[in-house]
Amino acid sequence: MNNGIKESFGSIHAEEELKNSTREFLVRKTRGYTKAVRRKSRYHVCAAVCACLMFLLFGGRWLYFTPTAEISIDINPSIELSVNRFDRIIAVNGFNDAGREIMEALDIKHKTYTEAVGQIMDNEQVEALLSGNEIMTITVTGSDGKQSSKILSGLRACTNGHKNTHCYRASSEDASAAHEMGLSCGRYRAFQELVRLDPSITPEMVQDMTMREIQDLIDSLSEGSDNGNDDAGNVDDEPMNDSGGCGNGNRGNGNRGQHGHHGHHGSGGGN
Amino acid sequence: MAPKGNTMRSEQDVNRAIGRYADTIRRICMIYLKNYADTEDIFQTVFLKYVLSSVSFESEEHEKAWFIRVTINACKDLLKSFFHSRTVSLDEAMEQPVGLLEDHREVLEAVFSLPQKYRDVVYLHYFEEYTAPQISSILGKNVNTVYTLLTRSKQMLREKLGGDGYE
Repeated sequence: MNNGIKESFGSIHAEEELKNSTREFLVRKTRGYTKAVRRKSRYHVCAAVCACLMFLLFGGRWLYFTPTAEISIDINPSIELSVNRFDRIIAVNGFNDAGREIMEALDIKHKTYTEAVGQIMDNEQVEALLSGNEIMTITVTGSDGKQSSKILSGLRACTNGHKNTHCYRASSEDASAAHEMGLSCGRYRAFQELVRLDPSITPEMVQDMTMREIQDLIDSLSEGSDNGNDDAGNVDDEPMNDSGGCGNGNRGNGNRGQHGHHGHHGSGGGN
Repeated sequence: MAPKGNTMRSEQDVNRAIGRYADTIRRICMIYLKNYADTEDIFQTVFLKYVLSSVSFESEEHEKAWFIRVTINACKDLLKSFFHSRTVSLDEAMEQPVGLLEDHREVLEAVFSLPQKYRDVVYLHYFEEYTAPQISSILGKNVNTVYTLLTRSKQMLREKLGGDGYE
């Protein structure tokens, strides 16, 4: 355009102080021009922050949404609750229609397992069933032995005072075997007991029976093949140990004589 | 001029580059930035980039264009950064250079009062005497856009400074 602009810009010069401070900075940064230390660009910092956030987000999501234990609740309605490592319910599965019906009436997702079981115990339908002498079995499975034990004792405290309620613990292998058969864990446990007494029983036959009906069947079968057990009225609670499983079948008849004080709640104990 | 292999440039290279391009970088900083601290930051960023860069320059012109482009990008990055104030106050900008003549001050005030997109084009064209196609390659803008910016900036400067003596 004209010399005015050129001259005006030409009158601007870098201050000596600025040049010197830049020289000093470069000597410092490159350690006397011996070692290149790359300046962290804003993009690198941003990328690192983003990566951390993503890690926290997905890591947190993974931590929260990975089930570490399952609580199976059977009366005839069968419900399974998936519990995460923070003892919160992250998924609820109804194993049969009655279970799904109860499940819909409940708002237990993301609540602690004690709150969840409390809600289930207070559910009208469940209360009616239990007061009608039905049996409720609660089975805890999980890969983390400590957490399963903690949940089991928590549940026992929760169900304390409710009659006909039994709490057990099972191994995760038994849980997978139960799921393969399309049975919930509590039902699988009773099924194992039945098969031991009558090998002709199939999982399908057990599927739609209530826990009370199964228990009565076990009682009648074991009376028929009485082996001197005088406590046939009760199915024992599994003693709380790590090897405990849904599979009562492994225990043999002799065990049925034991009273399962560990997990046995309620005055009726199944009678 | 080019670094050997992957090693960094020498102190002599850097001193030569500072001697040759410091004024250019200072002028570009004045176009974009409002304070001395930011200018210092840009100097450090640009020359560190130069020290660590493995670009082999074909000519002095190529090297100069590289410095201009890197400085403009560094200024834009600084202005874009989240914590940086985006406004450039004219008064603050004019406080920076000392010892300016009144005439020069008036012209620079007129240039710095233009919207941001016109300022670098004006500088590159009227001071560095780059052509529109050269400016388009340095700024990564369409040639026609550069022509339009130049025409408009010429009009605006004429209005601000008066036609006489600036045509």
